[in-house]
Amino acid sequence: MNPFEILAQYWPRLMDGTLMTIKLTLLGAFIAALVSPGLALIRVHALPIAQAPLRLYISFVRGSPILAQLFLIFYGSGQFRPVLQEWGLWSFFRDPFNCALLAFALNSTAYQTEILRGGIIGVPRGEIEAARAIGMSRQKVLRRVVFPHAYRMSWPALGNEVILLMKASALASVVTVFDLMGRSRQIFSRTFDFSVYLWAALIYLCITAIFVLLWRQAERRLSRHITARDKSHGTVPPLKETRP
Amino acid sequence: MTQRDIIVQADDIHKSFGTVEVLKGISLQAKTHDVISILGSSGSGKSTFLRCLNFLETPTSGTVTVHGEEIMVKNGKPQNARHMETIRARLGMVFQQFNLWTHRTSLENVMEGPIQVKRETRAEARDKAEAYLQRVGLEDRMHMYPSQLSGGQQQRVAIARALAMEPEAILFDEPTSALDPELVGEVLKVMKDLAAEGRTMIVVTHEMGFAREVSSEVVFLNEGRIAEQGSPGEMFTDPKTDEFRRFIAKAM
Amino acid sequence: MFELLSYGDAGWGDEILQGLAITVQLAIVTLPVGLCLGFLAAFASMSRLLPLRYLGFGYTTIMRGLPEILTLFVVYNGVGLLMNAVLRWWAPDASPTDFSPFAAGVVALAMVFGAFAGEVLRGAFQSLDLGQVEAGRAVGMNDRQIFLRIQLPQLWRFALPGLGNLWINMLKDTALVSVIALDDLMRMTKVAVGVTKQPFTFYLLACLIYWVMCVLSELVLARLEHRANRGIRRA
Repeated sequence: MNPFEILAQYWPRLMDGTLMTIKLTLLGAFIAALVSPGLALIRVHALPIAQAPLRLYISFVRGSPILAQLFLIFYGSGQFRPVLQEWGLWSFFRDPFNCALLAFALNSTAYQTEILRGGIIGVPRGEIEAARAIGMSRQKVLRRVVFPHAYRMSWPALGNEVILLMKASALASVVTVFDLMGRSRQIFSRTFDFSVYLWAALIYLCITAIFVLLWRQAERRLSRHITARDKSHGTVPPLKETRP
Repeated sequence: MTQRDIIVQADDIHKSFGTVEVLKGISLQAKTHDVISILGSSGSGKSTFLRCLNFLETPTSGTVTVHGEEIMVKNGKPQNARHMETIRARLGMVFQQFNLWTHRTSLENVMEGPIQVKRETRAEARDKAEAYLQRVGLEDRMHMYPSQLSGGQQQRVAIARALAMEPEAILFDEPTSALDPELVGEVLKVMKDLAAEGRTMIVVTHEMGFAREVSSEVVFLNEGRIAEQGSPGEMFTDPKTDEFRRFIAKAM
Repeated sequence: MFELLSYGDAGWGDEILQGLAITVQLAIVTLPVGLCLGFLAAFASMSRLLPLRYLGFGYTTIMRGLPEILTLFVVYNGVGLLMNAVLRWWAPDASPTDFSPFAAGVVALAMVFGAFAGEVLRGAFQSLDLGQVEAGRAVGMNDRQIFLRIQLPQLWRFALPGLGNLWINMLKDTALVSVIALDDLMRMTKVAVGVTKQPFTFYLLACLIYWVMCVLSELVLARLEHRANRGIRRA
C-alpha cells in the first residue's frame, strides 16, 4: 500500500494517539515538577540519614528499566488486589493510563530532583548571603534568589528530561494504552504496512522539534538579563535591569 | 672562516586568512649557529611566519627550504605529507602554551617523538630523554605529569622534547609569554645556554633583553613585512625606522 | 517465597538466570557495535564534506528523537521485510526467513547507542587541546600517530562519563527486547509471573537485578574514570 494511503485512512487514529502521547508526557512531567523542588531541597539540605530513603528511591528509579517499573505498578498491583479494593484504590490501578502516568511521574520526579539539586548547588553563595544581608527571610531567599537561579541553570537539562519522558511514554503502548506508539502498533497489526511506523517516527520528531523550539523560547525569557549583558558587552551596562 | 650551511630559508612568504593578508612577502635565511630574534607588536604576523616555517600554517605563496629541501605546495596543501613530516622532524618547535601531552609524564613526552617518528628503540630514547631532561635541570621531575609541574618546568620539558629530536634548528614561539614573571628567567637561561652551544634558533619573542644580548640577528616585523633587520648592536643603538624606534621605546 | 526463587524444577531461579544471561550477552554484543557507529557518526559530523556532515547530523538527531521501542519495531519489522524482499529477488524459491530478535535487538540498541555516543565523542574531540595536536605535528607525527597516540588516549577522559551513562541506559533499554519475544530477563520474569501469579514479587526482583547491574557498572566506571584521569590534577 502507498504510504500516503495509510496516512489518509488512519490519520484520525494517529492524531488521537499523538494527543494521548502529549497528554501522558505533559501530565507526568507536570506532576513531577510539583514534587521535585521540595525533594531537591531535601537532597541539598537534609541530614544524610533523612536523605537515605530519597536517595534509595532515586537510585532505584534510575537503575532499573522504566518498562520494568511500569510492569511492577500495572501488573504488580494485582498481587494486592484485595487490599487495594478495600481502600478503594483498585479502580485506579485497573486503568493502564493511570498506571502509566504514575510510573512516568515517579520516574521523572527522580530525574528532575537530581537536575534541580545540581541547579541549587550551583547558586553562588554570595548571592544568598547578599539576600540574607538585606534581611530576607529563609523562604524569601528560596523564592526570590535560590529557585530562580536554580531553574535558570537547570532549564536545558529539564527540557531534555521532558523529551526523554516523551520517548519513554511510548512504553505505555505495552500495557495497552493507545498513545501514538500504541495506535501505530494497532494499525501495523491490521495492515502489515510498515510505513505507519515511519509516520509515527515523523510525528515523534515533530513533537520533539516543536517542544525544543518552545523550550528555547522560554529559556530566552528566563535568561534575558544574561543575553542583555552579552549584547552590551564592552559598553556601559544598562542602569535599569529588567526583572527576570 | 668556513662557509656556514643554510639551514632554513624562506622566500617571499605570503599568507592570507580569508581576505586578510597577514604576511606580505617575507624572506629570511638562518645559517648554522644563527640565533634570529623576530620582534614585532601583536598582529604583525610574527607567529604566523614562524608557523609557516614548519608548515603548521601552509603559506599562500612563497617557498620554505630546509637544508636544501623544499616543501612543495599544491592547492594550498603540502604536496607530500610524508615529506613534510620528515622535514618537521628536523625542526624543533617550542610553543607559547607548552602543549605538553597531558596524559604522559615528562619522560614520556620527551621519548614520544624519537620512538614514534625517528623509530629509535625505547632504551635509546630513554637514555637520551633522561640526558636532555637533566640538561634542562629537571632530572628529579621525570616521572611527573605536566599538571604537576609549574609553567616554567613545563616549558623546559617542552624544550627537552624539541632537543630530543636532535633538530637542525629550533623554532621558539613566544616561549615565555605564558609564564608568570618569576618563572621567565629559568626558561631564558636554558635558551641562552642553547645559543651558547651554537644551536640554530629562530625565536619569536617579547624579551628585549634576550633579543639584544643573545641573538646574532634581529628581524622586526611590522604589518606583515620586514621593517628592519640587522645585528642587535646596530638596531638597538641606532634604529633606522620610526616604527622600530617607537617599538623599543614602548618595550623598554 | 524463597522456594519460588530457588534453582531447579520448583523454583524460577534458573529460568531468570538464563534470562539474565541473554540480557548481559545482548548488552555486551551491542556495546562494540554501538561504539563503532558512534565513532563513524562523530567522524561524519566533523567531516570536511558537507553531505557527510548532514548524514552524521541527521542520524544523531533523528535517532535521539525517536522512542527506543519505535526504533526496535522499525528494525525488527522493517529489516525483516527488507531481508525477505532481497531474498525473494535473489532466490525466488527460498522460503522466507525471520530476522532473529537477538540480531534485531543488537542492531536497534546499537543504532540508539551510536547516535548518543556520536554526540559524546564529538564533544570529547572538540574539548581536546589543539595545541597538543600541533606539538605532535611539530615533531613530525603523521595524522594516524596523532590520532592513536595523542587524541585517542585523551578522548577517553572526556568521553568516559558520557559513554558510561549511555552504557547504563542501554543496559536498561535491553528490557525492551522482551516485547519482540527475546527470552531476556524481562521476558523470563513475565513467564514466571504467568505461572506463579505473583507479579509484584517477580517484577520487583527484575527491577532489583537491573538495579544491581547498574550499580555495579557505576562502580566499574568510577574506577575506569579514575584511571583515565591519570596525569590530570586531582582535586
